[in-house]
Amino acid sequence: MASPTRRKRNRLALFTLFCCFIGSGVIAGWTVRDYLLNRPIIAKYAFPHGEIRIGVDASFPPFAVDDGTSVWGLDIDLGNAIAKEIGMPVRFVNMGFDGLYDSVIADQVDMVISALQVDLTRTAEVRYTQHYFDAGLVLVTPDSSPITMMEFMQGYRIAYEFGSVADAEVREWEKRIGRMQHQPYELPDYALDAVRLEQADAALVDNTSYRLYLRDHPEWQSQYRHVTTEVYSIAIRIDRLNAWKLVNHALTTLKESGELDKIIAKWL
Amino acid sequence: MLQHFHPYNLSFKKLWKHPFLQWAIRICVAWWLIGNITPITSRAPLGDPHIVEAEKSHVCVHTLLENEVFEWKIQRSLELVREMGADTIVQFFPWAYFEPNEDQYDWRQADLIVRHAENQGLRVIARLGFVPWWARPDIESEFSTLNYLTDDRFDDFADYAALFAERYAGVIDHIIIWNEPNLTFEWGYRPVDPSAYVRLLQTLYPRIKEVNPNAVILAGALAPNNEVRGSTAGLSDLLYLEDIYKAGGADYFDALAIHTYGFTDPPQAEPSDTALNFRRAELLHDIMLEYDEPDTPVFITESGWNDHVRWTKAVRPSQRSIYTVEAFQYTEENWDWLDQLCIWVFRYPAPINSYPDNFTLVTPEFKLKPIYYAIQAYARGWQRSDTLWLPPPEEKETD
Repeated sequence: MASPTRRKRNRLALFTLFCCFIGSGVIAGWTVRDYLLNRPIIAKYAFPHGEIRIGVDASFPPFAVDDGTSVWGLDIDLGNAIAKEIGMPVRFVNMGFDGLYDSVIADQVDMVISALQVDLTRTAEVRYTQHYFDAGLVLVTPDSSPITMMEFMQGYRIAYEFGSVADAEVREWEKRIGRMQHQPYELPDYALDAVRLEQADAALVDNTSYRLYLRDHPEWQSQYRHVTTEVYSIAIRIDRLNAWKLVNHALTTLKESGELDKIIAKWL
Repeated sequence: MLQHFHPYNLSFKKLWKHPFLQWAIRICVAWWLIGNITPITSRAPLGDPHIVEAEKSHVCVHTLLENEVFEWKIQRSLELVREMGADTIVQFFPWAYFEPNEDQYDWRQADLIVRHAENQGLRVIARLGFVPWWARPDIESEFSTLNYLTDDRFDDFADYAALFAERYAGVIDHIIIWNEPNLTFEWGYRPVDPSAYVRLLQTLYPRIKEVNPNAVILAGALAPNNEVRGSTAGLSDLLYLEDIYKAGGADYFDALAIHTYGFTDPPQAEPSDTALNFRRAELLHDIMLEYDEPDTPVFITESGWNDHVRWTKAVRPSQRSIYTVEAFQYTEENWDWLDQLCIWVFRYPAPINSYPDNFTLVTPEFKLKPIYYAIQAYARGWQRSDTLWLPPPEEKETD
């Protein structure tokens, strides 16, 4: 019969062995998980139709437009760049906005690139990639103006488009900072004209309108600051994890290489 | 003795029999019982019934309250509809929501909507559609959307429609069967099929009439488009309506529901079979006359303009306000065959986050858009200022 000291030693050895066994199991499991998560995704399995089918509502300049002979725009260039990065041919499927989500859920298309804002009510059905553009409202002032934020706007003249999101936003800000002098116009371009011609102190317009306006008035020295956020993303069916990873990775590459900025600058 | 109160000093058996715990359990059970037998106080009490104060009887709006979670939001939406001067709403009552499992009905949301609409003095036109999971093919064998309804399930849909019509008879006497069946995606991503739609009408019409003889069955609700035969997207509303008549559908509806949008044209723009504009409704009405249906009433159950900043089929918010009011005036003066002109859409419960948000009259946060006030002024006969915005800025001349 073993002495109590020996029994204690045996138990300790057994316990150490047991811990080693569990530990090596955990390490092995972790390694396998790491491999499975990070293994290279084969594009032809992620997109089994042999091409990347992209759903787009081509009625949305400058993001996507169908002129009867072809579709073109920022979203089309982005889709082409992503497909090139992944190394697969691409096909655009033009449809109305109402059908975009249904088509990706019903596997009519692999993804939707269509100036699509992240919609939390859809996240059970689709997975969104990182965003590629922010089309939210911006406060635009001359670059010499001390006004750089909405918080400074009390008592100043603010131009915006009548009935637009900016119209509602100005009213919301008034509740916080006090009265402003309202200058509603029929078009966001008129609101920006008012600031450029020194007939208003600031304009509140969406980022796309502002960038398009600057193309027509490159000489105008202005500054802007985002007031709201409205980011555009790509939607992929929730169970297409590998496709999502490939597209997200391609977007990261395009951002890091400066290619995405070039595409945006081409259209906006 | 204090130590008896400390649970660590008691065994489980003793603890379980401890009078304090026994009383705590009794109080909890009593609380639960009282809570269940006492009627829940409504967080949106109805109050006295209202009537709609309006000078125009054809102002109507499409609401989307089926997805609204809070009762007070349903009530607030309908209050705002009444205050705008609309006396009729079109409201969707999805089959999939109210019969989630076969023969198991849950009418709570429908009851809420109907109760509040009635309290606000509003007439309700019900739109029925959306197929529950159990009436669609097994997802393992075939992928289908909520608009996928096969002939063998028409009777199930008719069961729902008949129960709905019976339950709300006297309050809801106008029922639209399906929505935009001339679009592929509204027909479950299958080729559109006017004869199948007529068979659907044939199945539902007698069942609804049996339980509510006063019910007015509306058919059509066709999406305006110019798709040709064989298109994968759908079929032109003009061709589809002709096909409905050719398939003998005229005997199975009492009124025609029309969808007509202005897109970028003003409401007075001439209609043509190649253009999509507000007066396309006249072309559909011409087809009704061709098939000798002059007395069949017409309800425009979706209409309006969009004011999204970039959508190519949108107008400016200022134009939208003017066009919408002019459309009401135009129909009042020229279309004696029209019963209601319903604007799409009053409010979404949550933002869509794209151009459809710019069809609404009220934001999800209940902010009233300028178009709301424009329609209100027209419907209630109020004077309205014409200077809503400033003229475009001009370069100042320098000496």
